[in-house]
Amino acid sequence: MFPWVYGFEWHPGYLIFLGVFFTVAVVVAGTVLYALWRSFRAVHRKQEGRIYWHTVFEDLAPEERRCRHAITGELPERCCDREFDCRGCRMHARLLYSDEAGARAAASEQAEVCGISLPLDRYYHRGHTWVREGEDGALLVGLDGLGRRLAGGDGIVELPAPGTELRVNEPAFRLRRNGVEARILSPVDGTVEGPACDGEALIRVRPAAGFHTAHLLRGGEAAAWMRHELDRLQVALAASCGAATLADGGGAAPDLGRSLAPREFDTACGLVFLDV
Amino acid sequence: MVERLDEGWIARGVRRAPFDRFLLWAAPWAALLALGAYAIFLCLRDGLFHTNMDNRYVFGLWIFLDLAVIALGAGAFFTGFLLYVLRKTELRAVINSAVVIGLVCYSGAVLILAVDVGQPLRAWFTFYHPNVHSMLTEVTFCITCYLTVLWIEYVPIFLKNRRLALKPSMLVFEYNLHKVMVVFALIGTLLSFFHQGSLGGLFGVLRGRPFAFREGLLIWPSTFFLFVLSAMAVGPSFLALTTWMAEKVTRRRLVKDEVYQTLGRISGKLLLAYVFFKCLDTLLWINQTAPERGFPAHRFYEYGGAFGTWILFTEIALLGLVPALLLLKPEWRARRGLLIAGAAMACLGVTLNRFVFTIQTLALPTLPFDRLLLYWPSWQEFAAFGFVLAYGMLVYSFSYRYLKLFPQERELAMTEAKR
Repeated sequence: MFPWVYGFEWHPGYLIFLGVFFTVAVVVAGTVLYALWRSFRAVHRKQEGRIYWHTVFEDLAPEERRCRHAITGELPERCCDREFDCRGCRMHARLLYSDEAGARAAASEQAEVCGISLPLDRYYHRGHTWVREGEDGALLVGLDGLGRRLAGGDGIVELPAPGTELRVNEPAFRLRRNGVEARILSPVDGTVEGPACDGEALIRVRPAAGFHTAHLLRGGEAAAWMRHELDRLQVALAASCGAATLADGGGAAPDLGRSLAPREFDTACGLVFLDV
Repeated sequence: MVERLDEGWIARGVRRAPFDRFLLWAAPWAALLALGAYAIFLCLRDGLFHTNMDNRYVFGLWIFLDLAVIALGAGAFFTGFLLYVLRKTELRAVINSAVVIGLVCYSGAVLILAVDVGQPLRAWFTFYHPNVHSMLTEVTFCITCYLTVLWIEYVPIFLKNRRLALKPSMLVFEYNLHKVMVVFALIGTLLSFFHQGSLGGLFGVLRGRPFAFREGLLIWPSTFFLFVLSAMAVGPSFLALTTWMAEKVTRRRLVKDEVYQTLGRISGKLLLAYVFFKCLDTLLWINQTAPERGFPAHRFYEYGGAFGTWILFTEIALLGLVPALLLLKPEWRARRGLLIAGAAMACLGVTLNRFVFTIQTLALPTLPFDRLLLYWPSWQEFAAFGFVLAYGMLVYSFSYRYLKLFPQERELAMTEAKR
């Protein structure tokens, strides 16, 4: 049975002891191999993005996981447990903003939060990107005001290559600036068509069949969310770097990359783009 | 330049000491590590004559250290069991720290065992020539397996380092390893149960040492179960104590109060159960086991000095019952000072218990012509002890700096900043 064990005897003591030991060794090795096999399979199926977001979401503090309806005050204290994907959320479906007239009114308005303009003709993602439908049915995707202030003029935003499949909440772009690298999440499901010609947008995306925008913020809730984000940014910078960045009534600096120290900038990027 | 590089490895949103201050903290530990490494080198090169152990005093500081750190490191398996099997989710806040502490304790113990055996290159003999009737074989097998499990449990914590997590394949492996962690938690519990028990059993079966010999259940003496229970009791206490010390050193809040309360409550309950069974065992030993071997129990304490009855009282009452009550009563536990005092006393209690079984057992004479033996370790033994201590401090410090040991740290920092 165990020919490699010197002096082995067919004795209950040997059988039980070595049996247990080898069973444990086999289970440990088998479990590690199983984890390795699942990892290879996940990489092969290109599930890294989904796993990345799942891991990051688990690391977010409850304050960072606040439900969009908690931010607007509808359901105070409610935390999201669906990884910011409201498309399957029953509570969200019940509370869904369905005032079409209001939505049309919002489409023509523009909000401003602490000096950051927030055009309300588009949908916003919690990772500070926006989506707007183009004239030809393609979607235009770009960074919102806060994201642009972090990228600044000299930040490099790496765009996905044309033909890349994007999925909601999976990394789509990479921002590199001041030695800091941050992953930026995709707000849409679809295929990248190429860089956008529109000044504000970064890329054009052909939406996937059945894609809808229930998980994205719009209208008044986008403005409430941006206020919440700026509060969060201020608190997080104070917590991680010991420095307050905004005085009451003040506005965000036009180029945060220049006005923040490297460590603060790093914290801000992680917090804004949900890359903790 | 180096500082920028260093910052790139530190998790986002948490504060860490400047790199030069961290180096200043690590330098004395590194020096102690170097001294210990030299002592270990001497022992391995020349042999164990560098120590003050001999054929009569075969267990010394090192085995005491092994037993103590393995008991204190029990927080790793027990916290894993509570979190992954019993679903005590609030302990997620300290599980990473528990794994690092367990890893440090067990790897330190194995290292010292390798030096103590004196022939580390022949370590494989124990696997190839196992004596299945020996408790020591069980200990060797279980510790080796459990150390492997601890390394595997450490891998996801390590792979979550900010720089490593940038590589998607690392992140995916970390995620999948984390998914199967319940298997390792269960295996860790099984292995820990048996080796903690077998360490106790080692002494309980010493028929020639009536001070340690105990009756028991089937093949297991009572010390088997008492060692398991005491390790389970102090594991959470040691975890609370180390977390509190980390908070004091870093001047940051790392876990919420409820985590301390949970650890204290669990530790208190188990400690009370341990004290109860330890009292029963001691009474049985005084009235039955020892007299049957021809030694009235009071004779073991006639030598006074270091090994008087005070040691029994201190172990059971002062460092057993008192901390159990401190940790059990909610009003006392709610006061951080009392909770930490209780946890520290519990840890000292189990350390004293291991000292009694290792050192006192060998010191007491068993034959009419024997005398009480006193033993004082050589500097090489102390230095090797220091090596494990320094190694533990350095591994924990580096893990704290570059890995996410305390997932609640960011949240707590933000809560404090809000105030």
